[in-house]
This record gives sequence, structure tokens and C-alpha cells, in this order.
Amino acid sequence: MKISPLLSLVALLALAFTLATGLAGSADNWSGRAKSNNLFGMLFGDGRKLFANQFFTMADVYFHSGYYPSVFDKNAEEQKEIIAASHGKKESEEEEKNEDFLGRPKNWIDAFGRNFKITQHTHLENHSEREILPWLRLAADLDPQKLETYTVGAFFLREHLNRPDQAEKFLREGLRNNPDSPEILLELGRVYHESYHDATRARNVWQLGVKKFRQQTPEQQKENKITGDGLMVNLAHLEDEAGNYGAAIQWFQAAQQISPAPAALQKQIDDIRKKMNGDIPAKPK
Amino acid sequence: MNKIAALAGVVIKELYRRKDFYVLFVLTALLTLGAGSVNFFNDDKIVRYVKDICLLLIWVSALVIAVVTTARQIPAEREARTIFPLLAKPVSRGHVIVGKFLGCWLATGVALFVFYFFFAIITGSKEQIWPWLGYLQALWMHWVMLAVVIAMVLLGSIYFAAPSSTSTITIIVVAGILLLGGHLNTIALSQPEPIQGLLSFLYFVMPHLEWYDLRDFVVYDMGMISLRALALATVYGAVWTGIFLLLAWLGFRRKSLTT
Amino acid sequence: MSIILKTQKLRVEYRSREFRQSTKTALVGLDLEVNAGEVFGFLGPNGAGKTTTMNVLLGFIPPTSGGASLFGIDVRQPIARQRIGYLPELTYYYKFLTAEELLRFYAKIFGLTRSETDKRIAELLKLVELEHAAKRPIKSYSKGMQQRVGLAQSLINNPDLLILDEPTSGLDPLGRMKVREIIQRLKDTGKTVFFSSHELGEVETVCDRVAIVHQGELKAVGTVAEVSAGHDNLEKAFLKIVGFQTSPLP
Repeated sequence: MKISPLLSLVALLALAFTLATGLAGSADNWSGRAKSNNLFGMLFGDGRKLFANQFFTMADVYFHSGYYPSVFDKNAEEQKEIIAASHGKKESEEEEKNEDFLGRPKNWIDAFGRNFKITQHTHLENHSEREILPWLRLAADLDPQKLETYTVGAFFLREHLNRPDQAEKFLREGLRNNPDSPEILLELGRVYHESYHDATRARNVWQLGVKKFRQQTPEQQKENKITGDGLMVNLAHLEDEAGNYGAAIQWFQAAQQISPAPAALQKQIDDIRKKMNGDIPAKPK
Repeated sequence: MNKIAALAGVVIKELYRRKDFYVLFVLTALLTLGAGSVNFFNDDKIVRYVKDICLLLIWVSALVIAVVTTARQIPAEREARTIFPLLAKPVSRGHVIVGKFLGCWLATGVALFVFYFFFAIITGSKEQIWPWLGYLQALWMHWVMLAVVIAMVLLGSIYFAAPSSTSTITIIVVAGILLLGGHLNTIALSQPEPIQGLLSFLYFVMPHLEWYDLRDFVVYDMGMISLRALALATVYGAVWTGIFLLLAWLGFRRKSLTT
Repeated sequence: MSIILKTQKLRVEYRSREFRQSTKTALVGLDLEVNAGEVFGFLGPNGAGKTTTMNVLLGFIPPTSGGASLFGIDVRQPIARQRIGYLPELTYYYKFLTAEELLRFYAKIFGLTRSETDKRIAELLKLVELEHAAKRPIKSYSKGMQQRVGLAQSLINNPDLLILDEPTSGLDPLGRMKVREIIQRLKDTGKTVFFSSHELGEVETVCDRVAIVHQGELKAVGTVAEVSAGHDNLEKAFLKIVGFQTSPLP
């Protein structure tokens, strides 16, 4: 029996369509990736987090204009932390030499090869910090649960690029993806306080941040104590500026419970008490 | 020289009559334009990531063009048997090796020039500066590196009959050198003997192609490398090119063409 | 009369692919001389060693022992091929080039000047009747056209010695006649032609001398009349020399 190729094609298409409509419902249960509303989540699954980390590192590499240890350099992780800690600090020549992960050339090949490498430790400045933003954007898209991406991005947008609107937008996106994050709330409060000078909104956001911090488990609180400390100290300063000395002292005392430097906070409390007694004049509002 | 120039001319004609270059250029252009058109935080002055992506694409495309074009030369001549009327002329096998090398290198140079020119236009339109000397330096070093790679591929094509084998092996070797070459001595130190000895030996005898990658200087606006370093690197590249071409000639001159 | 082409005890051995046979001998001590100005036919059955001899003369393979020379120059020197033209049996040319580009390429290899090249290309394209197709890529040519391109490239340097490997193979009668005419014209201008062929009728017509090889050995050499002596024609002489016995039809 001779079957027309066109008829066979039509029959196969009809069969494919029928199977697709029949299987569509069941197929959703097979693949978790298909449920993802994130393109990268769908493409890479959990592997996207590796890419997110890599892109976050790229932002750091860009900030240092290519001067960055590779995975092969000695104590690479330690060196990265040292470099990160140097951000914003003026360093002596001696300190900079100690941070030099390259060290002395091991042989003539290494020595000559340094002509073709970035060997100067520099930071982006004067609005060039914008160059790190694409990598932070990608890192956020790939891993919306990586909090550091939002806080670092917002810091540079607010502090260095004078774009508080974009910083707020980025942090609010981070909050949508991480609604219980005290870190993001801390940074958002800074936007309102330092950029918009909106003490009311800053207070509300930081108070919410403290609430979220206190809702965390003891282990999480221990890991995040710097954030908790930051939230409470910022609230204390806010109340101090507003003349609400009692509230300020309360916040400093709360911060002392978790702060790594309770003695410094005690000094702040003492200064406020002196202001309350009139020994130190209050700062003009 | 006329014979070598004639052989090189045929290689160049073949490249621009094949579609490889145009496909890769269009792909590079589209990806770069796509990357450049994305809006990050409403800031249209961000340019370094575009430079980074474009240069990466240029490096990949140029490497593919160089390796694939060169890997085909001798095997395709043998398979199509065009090597016979060629060698029936007063042309030595050494002429063939040098002519093929020169043709592939010049053809790749033309492709590189077009890629870098496109790169300069795209990035210049964003940041409104054109550090031509820096770009020329990066292009020159890239081209010198490709000379070594092309000579390496020619050597491989004498011994591996299939161009796909030569291409695959060369790309793996070159990628390995670019990624790990500068770190091999560090890696060696953490390994036990005899691996440590072997890696150290490799580190000292292999061509250090990673020196020729000046992308960081271009992306991060780090200016130019010293003329002395440029000159020495060029000589180093020429020496390695000569070594590979000599080995290719030694292998080719004794090869029977009828089997 | 000067000797243009010479082989001396030429021996070529290949590594054998057959079981229990380490080498295979393609040529066994071939001694051959071709004089200037003659048309020399190189005959033999398939596998006799004709192509191997040509491969040695053209430098494609090295001899195992013995030697060969062209114009007194060892064949291993590229300069030995400066005054020769070679037409292979099958068409092996760069398909992406046009006929004109191919001829120009080979002319440059021979060191011809621009004006010499232009003149020569025009003459050759007219000779092989490819003027109309000169600017088309060779991949668009028919088989006959490709063979005519082959003939043109073999003559680009106005060679003193033309080596042809089965020049009429695959050609129609008109094509074969054209080749015969060209060979005759070359002979009239004092050129030397060395060719292999299975078309013994044509060989009888154009050749001054012939050689017959069989199983790598030179079996006969001389003028057509000398080789055919005692037989009706060259074909019958050839069959006798290679040891072919006709069997009666059932």
C-alpha cells in the first residue's frame, strides 16, 4: 500500500500535537527547572550560583582594574580578604607591599611575564566605579539570594556614583527576593538617612531590620551580629540627632549585647548622658 | 620570495572565499552590539564589560580562524591531490611550508585588523576616546601569538591526517597555555615528584603564549607595555615560530605523498 | 643528442601492507634515457611501475636506491623542474580559483614577469578554448574543461620537457585529437614529450621511441619499429612482451 508522504507528515503532526496536549500537565511535575521564572535558573539549575559567585568576583577584579590573585596564587583567599579590607583605607607603601600577592619573581620567565600583567594595586574612583555594576547585575540575576550583591551594589551606587535612586531600586529588588534580610534593610536605611536625609523612613526601615534580626535563630544572629550591631547603632545615632536621648541610650545598650566593641559604645552612652545633664551641648539639628 | 608570496596569495584567496571569517565576524559583531545595548542601572557610560566581552570574542574567533584555516592546508592539498601539480613546479617542500604559514598568518592578520577596528569603533562611540596606540600594541602582540599558533598547527598537520584532530589538539594546547602557562611553576611546587619535575620542565620549555594577551591593559586602560618588552616578546615569538616551522619542514620533506 | 631525462638503476621499494611481506618492490633497477626533442612513450600494464617512475622524476617520492635526473640536475633539487611541465592523469587543481588565477599562480612560481604572464595566459586559454570561462571558478567546470585547464597549466612556462600521465584518459575523440595536435606541435618546436598511455594506437602515431615496463622492470626500449619487430603492430608486441596469452574463445 502506497502512503502519500504529505499524509504521513500530517498524521505525525497531529499525533505530536495530541501527545503534547496530553502530556503537558504531567511534564510540569518532572522538571523543576521548567518551573523557574528565571532564565538562568532554567538554563543552569543550581549551577547558576557558581556563575553568580564568579561574576561577583569579576566585580571585585574590575574594582582593582585587573590586579587580583588567581586561584593558583599562594594563599589566594587570604589575599583577597586582605585586598577587600583595604578598600577605602589610605595605606602606606609598606602595607601595600605586604598585600602584593605576586611576591618576588620566581625566575626569569616570571620576571619577564610581569611586563604583560597588571602589577599595580589600584581602585576605581571618580565615578569609574560604574564599571563594576554589570557584573553585580548579572550576579544578582543568577543568584537573587546572594545578599552581598545588593548591599555592595547599593553602596557603590549611593556612596561613589551619587545614584541613590538606583541604589534604592536595587535594594528593593533584593528585598523582594529576600524579604527577611536585615543586611538589605540596613543598607536601605543608609540610603534614606545619608542620601535623602529622611530620618523617618530610615528609622522605620532600621527598626524593621532589627525586628528581622531578632527573628533569626541564635546561630544566624551570631553570624550576623555585625549587621545587628550596625542597625542598632545607626538607630541610636538617629535618636541622638533627633534629641531623643533616652531612646538613643536604649539602642546603644541593646547594641552592647552583641557588639564586638562594647566599651566604645559605653563611651557613646556616657557622652549622651553628659548631654542630658547639659555637660555637653547638643548638636544643632 | 615570489614562490612564497604566490603560495601565500592562494591561501588568502581561499580564506576570503570561504564563509568562516564572515560568520565569525557577524557573530562577534552581533554579540558585542547586543552586550553594548543592555542598560545597567540607567548608566550609559559603562563600557569596560563591553570591551571585555568583545575582546574575548575576538580572541576566540581569531583562534578558530587561525587554527581551522591552517589545519586544513596540507591535509586538504594531499586529499584533493593539488599538492602534485604544485610540487611538480620548481617549488621545494620548504617553500610550501613557509608559503602556507605566511598565507595563514597574513589572512589572520587581516581578520584581526577588521575585528580590532570594529572593537575600536564600538568602544570609542561609548567612551569617546580612542587609544589607538594601545589598541595597535594589543593587536600586534595578538598577531605575533597567532604566528606561533599557526606554526604549531602546521607542524601538527604534517603528522595528523585529519584536520579535526590537529584543530582539537592545538586548541586544547593553546587554551591550556593561555590559562595555566604562567602558573605552571606555582602548580608544580605543590605536586610530588616526578610530576613536579615534569611540570617545571614544561614551564621552562613551552612557548609562553599568555604574555601576548594584553586584554587587561586595554580593558582597564592601563596604557602600554614598554617598547623593550614588546620587542623581546616579538623576537621570542619569532624564535618559537621558527622552531615549529623547522620541525614541520623536517617532517614534511621526508613524507611520501603517494600514501 | 643530449639526454634530457635519465634514470640510473632506479629502485623503489614500499612498505607492504600484505601479510608476511615486509616490502614491495615497485621498480627494479630501471635504466632509462630520453633524448632532447623526442616524443617518448612509456608503456606498461597497470601496476607495472609507470606512475612510480613519474613520481620519482617529479620528486613526489624518493628512490630507495639509484638516481634520476632532468636536464642533468638531480630530481631531488626543485630547480630540476624549472623547465618541465606536468599534466597529471586526474585533474587536481584549486577549485576555488578561476582558470586565469590558477595560471597566474603557477606563472608566478616559475618567475614569469607580469607581461610574460599576461601574454602566455591569453595564448594558452585560446589554445585550450577556455577564454569564455577564464573568470569562472574551476569547481564550475565540466571534466573536459578541467582537463583542458590542466593542459594549459602544464604549458604555462613554455617547458622544454612535458611529462604527461595518460593525457588522453577520459577524453572524447575530439579531445584526444587536440592532445595529439599539441604533442605534435611541441615536437615540431623541438620540445621533448614523455608520456604514459594505454592508447597504443596513438603511441604508434606520435612517438619516436617507446619503453615497456612490466613488474618494475624495463622489458623493451627503442623506436616503435624496433619494439614491434616481428609482430603485426605495437599492441601485439606489447602483449607478447608482458607475457599475455590470448585464450581461444569457447
